[in-house]
Amino acid sequence: MIQLSGVSKRFNGKRGVVALDNVWFHVPRGEMVSIVGPSGSGKSTLLNLIGGLDRPTSGEIEIDGERLGGLSDDNLTRLRRDKIGFIFQFFNLLPTLTCLENVALPLHLRGWPRRKINERSKELLALVGLDRRLDHLPDELSGGERQRVAIARALSIYPPILLADEPTGNLDTQTGWEILKLIHDLRQQLGATVLIVTHDRAVAESCPRTIALRDGRIAGDSRQ
Amino acid sequence: MILLRLITWPYVRKHLTRTALTLTGILLGVAVFVGMHTANQSVLFAFQRTIDRIAGATQLQVTAGETGFDESTLERVQAVPGVRAAAPVIQAVANIGIRGEGNLLILGVDMLGDRSLRDYDLEEDDEGAVDDPLVFLARADSLIITRPFALRNHLTVNSTLVLDTVDGPKRFTVRGIMRSGGLASAFGGNLAVMDIYAAQRMFGRGRKFDRIDLAVNEGERIDAVQVRIERTLGPGFQVRTPGSRGREIESIAAVYRLSANITSLFALFIGMFIIYNTFAIAVTQRRAEIGILRALGATQSQIRRLFLTESAVAGAIGSVAGAAAGILLARALAKYIGGLLSEVYGIGERAEEVSANPNLIGLAVTAGVVTSIAAAFLPARNAARIDPVKALQKGKYESLSEGENRARRSAAVISALSAFACLGLGGRGVLLYTGYLLTLIAALLLTPAAGLWLSRLIRPVLRRVRPVEGALAADSLIQTPRRTSGTIAALMLSVSLVIALGGMARASYASIVQWMNIALNPDLFVSATQNLTARSYRFPPEVGERIQNVPGVAQVQLVRDARVLYRGRPVMLVAADIAGLVSRARLPAIEGDTDRMYREAAAGKGVIVSDNLAALENLHAGDILELAAPAGMLRLPIAGVVIDYSDQQGSILIERTLFRRYWNDDTVDLFRVYLEPRASESAVRQEILNRVGSTTRLFVLTNREVRDYILRLTDQWFSLTYVQIAVAVLVAVLGIVNTLTVSITDRRRELGVLKAVGALRRQIRGAVWIESLTIGFLGLMLGLALGAFQLFYALEISRRDIAGIRLEYQYPLKIALALAPVMLGAALVAALGPAETAVRGSLVEALEYE
Repeated sequence: MIQLSGVSKRFNGKRGVVALDNVWFHVPRGEMVSIVGPSGSGKSTLLNLIGGLDRPTSGEIEIDGERLGGLSDDNLTRLRRDKIGFIFQFFNLLPTLTCLENVALPLHLRGWPRRKINERSKELLALVGLDRRLDHLPDELSGGERQRVAIARALSIYPPILLADEPTGNLDTQTGWEILKLIHDLRQQLGATVLIVTHDRAVAESCPRTIALRDGRIAGDSRQ
Repeated sequence: MILLRLITWPYVRKHLTRTALTLTGILLGVAVFVGMHTANQSVLFAFQRTIDRIAGATQLQVTAGETGFDESTLERVQAVPGVRAAAPVIQAVANIGIRGEGNLLILGVDMLGDRSLRDYDLEEDDEGAVDDPLVFLARADSLIITRPFALRNHLTVNSTLVLDTVDGPKRFTVRGIMRSGGLASAFGGNLAVMDIYAAQRMFGRGRKFDRIDLAVNEGERIDAVQVRIERTLGPGFQVRTPGSRGREIESIAAVYRLSANITSLFALFIGMFIIYNTFAIAVTQRRAEIGILRALGATQSQIRRLFLTESAVAGAIGSVAGAAAGILLARALAKYIGGLLSEVYGIGERAEEVSANPNLIGLAVTAGVVTSIAAAFLPARNAARIDPVKALQKGKYESLSEGENRARRSAAVISALSAFACLGLGGRGVLLYTGYLLTLIAALLLTPAAGLWLSRLIRPVLRRVRPVEGALAADSLIQTPRRTSGTIAALMLSVSLVIALGGMARASYASIVQWMNIALNPDLFVSATQNLTARSYRFPPEVGERIQNVPGVAQVQLVRDARVLYRGRPVMLVAADIAGLVSRARLPAIEGDTDRMYREAAAGKGVIVSDNLAALENLHAGDILELAAPAGMLRLPIAGVVIDYSDQQGSILIERTLFRRYWNDDTVDLFRVYLEPRASESAVRQEILNRVGSTTRLFVLTNREVRDYILRLTDQWFSLTYVQIAVAVLVAVLGIVNTLTVSITDRRRELGVLKAVGALRRQIRGAVWIESLTIGFLGLMLGLALGAFQLFYALEISRRDIAGIRLEYQYPLKIALALAPVMLGAALVAALGPAETAVRGSLVEALEYE
């Protein structure tokens, strides 16, 4: 499903920084993987590269058999919107849109008919337990509720891959566990491949496979 | 200062494009202001300089408006105690047929007495020829020219030069060449001196002088001699110093200067909103930074001072650059304005050089800095009031509070009611302008609320059309009123200015065409000058008889136009055979009975005044009009008031016999010629040229040519205004670019999220374009609404305070419709750069952006 072959990422600045150095791994369809490591180890960079938000300096990434390196910016976006759902630490909801509109956003971008968008968005918000908050703005929700909306948005197209960057990092412990349980449940229901970047040992341990990074290299790859 | 270096400088360096845009806003405003004024002043200064250089040792000048006076006046002036020397002058502009040389100022003088007033500073070889004035006089074709003119045209002593005289082209011989400088540099060096009697013949002056120049005895007080001459000659004469004559020209061009002032101030005013916008945005963006500074101990006044100093520095840089650009602009404008003044007012002048007036530059730079500081005042105050705790919290912080909105709305209502009261009190002068200003203030105060309301109104529409891009664009405007309201206000002002000036132009064209249909209906016009507003040459009345004898001519009407002073105002006196005139062209009276008006005026028992003069001088039918003439005071009742656009300062129509009696002048400026029913216009025109034109300098213009000429003058009048409108719109468009640039920065994360969840490049572009188009649309809508009021005030100011001209209020719908694609197109162009920035930015950085 996800194949990384010798992927490196170097940031050019006054002092060039190697964020990822010759990373190789494969994630089969339906697997749930946590990526751990200290700050600056390259976790988020790795997730950004897999999600097509950034491009590697060298190496190749394949998603569902398609090489990202040869894709144009717009084709990369098309791949992202068809196959990948993102969950961010700071939710990244648009503050001016209601919950329903935020979830509907990727569907509008795909040009779906309004009625179908409406149905799917309501269905997803019901799935994450927010069917009574359809017309609320993000500001009117708690942190956990906002992350649920963000998850609903990430799932709006039922993507085969779900990428989560510290999904519980901005939540209290109890809410964090609820969100994690929700991701596990949704993976069970939808059969998606899930990659979670986390600092939290408990979150990592809840995943069947954990890849550890250190200084941009894979320091460990273990299965429970 | 340390804060400026540590805090402001890095911010400026980081936002170079925006800083440049802000400076350009100030630069354009100041450039237009300096350019217009410098060009204006250069032309008027050139006129004053010509007066001064020609004046020489002259201390007083005697004139009788443009009409001139009898030769006998000279003896009466010379006899006044205290007058040392008095010399007659004919001064007129003649066209010379030399390509690129334009006009030549002819000074007709009496060489016997004039050299005690003027130093001709002739080149040594020529002194002999001119030294004996009798020799110069004996040869009526004698001409003295200037060294620069001689050099340019390869002329030497004894060269000949053909000049147009009223009797046709005549050959003149150069008998002397003046050295460069002094008198020789007047009128850009295009000056020629000839004997006064030759000049009388050349320009058809009969036995009249245009002016007497004089000097007083040593030790004699000039003002005392002035009073003595005034007493001797009576009220029909003006006795003034040469310097004060320049001011008369300024007063003739006052309408032009005022309209130029209003539009250039408007450009500065619009620039002010760009500055306000920039600082409002800066305060919002630097909120966290301000919070940190406050937390570290910066006082409110330090924060306020920081922003005000920034604005002063930006204002100074923009203003100095604007002043420099303005001087460059003035070079291009001076020639154009010189031509315009010459065409519209008949004032011929050459502005050879554009000199920057230090006072004007100082005023412009001060105005730019003060405008900049004033514009930054509110944002600086808001910055100082930022709560450090809230400032350091992340999240939404920009929306206007309900209290803030309510206060603005209340102030707007009070301003609008006060403006209404000013009008109700009969608004003239200060009251009228106060009302106008209050209306603008009310509109500006309402802009944020109106923008918000309109944005909410169109959000469903935009969402319907483009569910993501449309909704986001509307939301962006709804959530960030401070970011957008300054730009919307600038656009609103620009659009309203276009509506007001466009409406004025439309009303002017419509009224002028209506007036021309009645008043200018002769088939042919015979004029002594190609430019109908110039009155250098005049016909003797006999020319009228010769035209009358041309086969196909049914009627010839003799018209004499002359600018005279009425209550200190240089108005146009029109003398004609009223009975003949009214039989063909009958303007209806808007005050008084039309039949009675023409009957009394034709009998010489009344005068007809133009509506604009009546409005400016508060005159009504039945009032007694007193007009000082060389032969005494003309006192007649106003028989009626008519709408007449022949002069911006107003006109007085009197019977020709009265003019002959009071001004002792039977010369003619223009013949209005009506043809027999089946006569061919071109054939009669040719016949007039053959029979009369062979011995008399004349121009035969058809009705169509005169109408085209008048419409062309109107075009010229408004064309400069259109340039200023373009600058105002450009400044407003810069505002959109500025706002969008900030919007892209502010919404980096939002746009990043959009891309992350699958928005394509075209969709991101679309979101930015729609936001820009929405800003353009809001500015357009509010501008069209404000334009209705602006037009009302423009017409009222024009009617009540400037020209007294009555123009019908008609909202310029076509202009409004034409503005829509222009403004929206400009908004779209403004969005192109920012949209590309939005598309090309790093997605990862955007998502991490705070």
